[in-house]
Amino acid sequence: MSGARARWSFPQLLVTLGLLLIAVVFFFPMIWMVMNSFKTNQAIFRTPFALPESIDFDRWIKAWEVGHIGQYALNSAIVTGVSVAAILVIAASAAFAFSRYRFPGRSLALGLFALGLLLPLQSYFIAQSTMFRQVGILDTRWALIIPYIAMGLPLAVYLLKVYLDALPEELFEAAHIDGASDLRVFGSLAMPLLRPGLATVAIFSALACWNEFLLALLYIQDDRLKTIPTGLLAFSSRYVTDYSLLFSALSIITIPMVVIYVVFNRQIVEGITAGSVK
Amino acid sequence: MRTHHRGRAVIAALSVAALAVASSVSGAVAQDRTLRIAMGSPGEAGIRVWEAIGAQFEAANPGVTVDIEFMDDDLYQTIGLPQLLASPNAPDIYFEWTGSRMAQRAADGYAADLTEAVASGPLAGLLDDELFAAATLDGKIVLFPHTADVTNVLWYNVPLFAEHGLTPPTTFEELLAVCDAFVAADIIPIATGNKDLWAAGNWLSHMASRVVGEDVYDATLAAGGPFNTPEWEQAFGYIAQLREHSCVNESANAIADNEGAQLFFQGSAAMHPIGSWLVSWAIDEAPDLEFDFVNLPAMPEGSAGDQGSAIGVETGYMVNANSQVQDLAVEFLALMNSPENVKAYVAAEIVPLARSVADAGVDGRSLRLGELLAGAPAVVLPPDTGYDLEMANALYAAEAAVLGGQATPAAALAALDQQLAR
Amino acid sequence: MRPDRRVAPWLFLAPGLVVFSVAVLLPMVLTVGFSFTEWNGFGAMTFVGLDNYVRAFHDTFLRASFLHVIVYIAATLVLEVLVGLCLAGLVSMRRGRLWFRVAIFTPVMLPMVVVAVLWAFVYNPDFGLLNGALEAMGLAGLQRIWLGDPSVALLAISVVSGWVYAGFYMMIFYAAFRQVPSDIIEAARLDGAGEWSIFRRVKVPMIRGAVGVAVLLCVTGGFQGFDLFFVMTNGGPYGSTEIPTTLLVRTVFRHADVGYGSAMAVVLTAVVVTCGLAYAQLQVRRTRGAAR
Repeated sequence: MSGARARWSFPQLLVTLGLLLIAVVFFFPMIWMVMNSFKTNQAIFRTPFALPESIDFDRWIKAWEVGHIGQYALNSAIVTGVSVAAILVIAASAAFAFSRYRFPGRSLALGLFALGLLLPLQSYFIAQSTMFRQVGILDTRWALIIPYIAMGLPLAVYLLKVYLDALPEELFEAAHIDGASDLRVFGSLAMPLLRPGLATVAIFSALACWNEFLLALLYIQDDRLKTIPTGLLAFSSRYVTDYSLLFSALSIITIPMVVIYVVFNRQIVEGITAGSVK
Repeated sequence: MRTHHRGRAVIAALSVAALAVASSVSGAVAQDRTLRIAMGSPGEAGIRVWEAIGAQFEAANPGVTVDIEFMDDDLYQTIGLPQLLASPNAPDIYFEWTGSRMAQRAADGYAADLTEAVASGPLAGLLDDELFAAATLDGKIVLFPHTADVTNVLWYNVPLFAEHGLTPPTTFEELLAVCDAFVAADIIPIATGNKDLWAAGNWLSHMASRVVGEDVYDATLAAGGPFNTPEWEQAFGYIAQLREHSCVNESANAIADNEGAQLFFQGSAAMHPIGSWLVSWAIDEAPDLEFDFVNLPAMPEGSAGDQGSAIGVETGYMVNANSQVQDLAVEFLALMNSPENVKAYVAAEIVPLARSVADAGVDGRSLRLGELLAGAPAVVLPPDTGYDLEMANALYAAEAAVLGGQATPAAALAALDQQLAR
Repeated sequence: MRPDRRVAPWLFLAPGLVVFSVAVLLPMVLTVGFSFTEWNGFGAMTFVGLDNYVRAFHDTFLRASFLHVIVYIAATLVLEVLVGLCLAGLVSMRRGRLWFRVAIFTPVMLPMVVVAVLWAFVYNPDFGLLNGALEAMGLAGLQRIWLGDPSVALLAISVVSGWVYAGFYMMIFYAAFRQVPSDIIEAARLDGAGEWSIFRRVKVPMIRGAVGVAVLLCVTGGFQGFDLFFVMTNGGPYGSTEIPTTLLVRTVFRHADVGYGSAMAVVLTAVVVTCGLAYAQLQVRRTRGAAR
């Protein structure tokens, strides 16, 4: 790791300064957002760049209370948690089938999931909403969980299959010779070995579920079941002119995600880029 | 190594979270005697009244929960209500405008028949009979009227007008002159937040109805055209004049209707053409602002319509035909119209149609708004509630294009006809 | 008893196949079916053959929406992929600079709706950050009603998209640059090549595969854009930011024209899938060419 340690040189310093400038400009909208959350409506209008006169979390507390942000976050956590858990188990099991067995119909089934990688949401959500209406699950959490699982599966299956394919054949043969059942091989051998792959899948699936908007907008109207994206939209149209309250709500939603990201940045970056590139 | 631990921690945390919440997954809330009500947001003052009535109802009916959904107006009108009605937690009572929207709900099977309840049930005697004309389909009452909204008057900032020695315009020519004066004083003459197109659309359609005449307006909108006629071109020509005189804020396209109201509330704009609900909004948004209204200024010579016409619509609440608690719903509608609650609405500047409103002490602007509608020689319906929504949106878009200088009146009307022709 | 070897794989596959078929494949087939009908979502469904497709072919609004999304994609190719590539070049010039990579990637974490609401404020004509900053820098002449002016609204939305994803593509390219053998770069440096020419002539050509993936992601993702458009402009001003998805959501859920909306969805799907397949074809040809 030491070979490339370059000396500080003037052009390098310039580049670093340039990057610093870019980062500051880049972050400015978020800094401005937090600053405005401590200002009154009038101060936001009159002196958009002034620092707030005092740091007072009253507006944040009000945004949390009247905006039901806690409820929205809980809903997002429930929908995301259940969807991700299901994606992990179902996708690992399907990947296990593709990786460890050769059977008639395999390439057809594999092809179906490959199609899933290409299909945009727009190709099915119209009929999906009519189906959900017919079976009466609109405005329940299932209306989000079921499509989120289905949308997350193709990529998860593919990634986990790649991980499984890379495992040495002998491991599995040894287990079979020891008389382990297929289910046991899957549960006690494959799943633990898949852990890094599962972590990657968990990260990008969780983020996708947490941030999904279009289906949440169309399928959930009940305020008590809204997730963060649609909840924030409801909040912003109800308090559209109470700007400091809105900036407070935005800050409350944004800051925890930024903190989580800073703590786990390496895993998250790896998870998200792996999730989209492979 | 550290990465591994963290990865494991993420998975552990996720699975714990998943387990902890799995039990609460099914979002369908218990079905025991909940009365669900859905409407577009009536503003903060209005929300307080609704929530108080909900609490009264729960106190009077032990075991019943009242659950009121206040949705963003535009969302409610478009995606929200239809999806809500199709969901398992469908509302038992929902807000609706009389006209084609109400008929659509009935055609889709969501309208309970309220005729009995009005004739001899809990709703008897609360309203004057003639109010039910607009709420009746095929001889059945399907909506219980609540308010009559004037959807457009011209609000103005009283001190700003006084400061510049101006009087509120009563004719279109005066309006243009007032605009010129405010532009010269570097004040926005008219604020409108037209991102969703209906805010200015409703105002400009009222203007157009004055020019083409109520009959032509109704016939054209009901038939979905043709708009490319000399009358409509004349009407759209006046919109172009508003543009030429820089009457409207430049940001009109970029901001929502309530942001447009904010420009008016903040004193940045002198006038604001919008409906009667502005009074109720102002209670929280601009408690100190002194503002008043005039009806839409009379259009120039050569206009075919009645220059005293008002634009407005009767609105009310429908009971869902699929509701399991229709009796409760009817009881709730009756409670809404009790003399005390009518007073509470009036205090929030929402004026119900109930007979007891006469004793509720309505005064000032709200009283005159009611008189404006009741006394208007002609009442036209707003395009988006009285007629086909898709046609209304196309009309609004054409008006916005002329107001924004994107198209000449003739071009906008030709494109509108072409769009509606298919 | 061990399950039959022929049955076992299907048992493992069953949950995934069932969920995927019921929630994606079946509704996709139904959507294609709907596209041959006239239906308002409630009443009777009328078979109309190819009428909806004929209508789509002549629909100037649909055509305009595709044009807008293509302009948007072109802009995001520059603002996301090209900017990401340049940033990756800058950060990979020397080790370290982790702080920068971490910082620029941050917006990817945020829900697009949050980003959209925040940026609607940045662009706000009355107190927005952008107009305020321009004024503070003495550039008041450049102030615009960013989301209300049809000549800049689409670009303004593209910039937000760039703000979110430039860091994402930077990470992809950064990872790819690290795979470039350092002796090749050292050799070029010894030949007297400057950093810029090393970047252009050595490093970028070496990561062509990653660039290809990025372009594909950007193009297919662009066609599916919705959140920013719906929240920031909802298609306006004057329809200048109407894209296929906002148009079809309006057609289906606002105008209750399910049949025609489905036809739009099928057209959009065909475009996206074609782009994906064309790319896959290209990759296959390239790997074959490389193997030869």
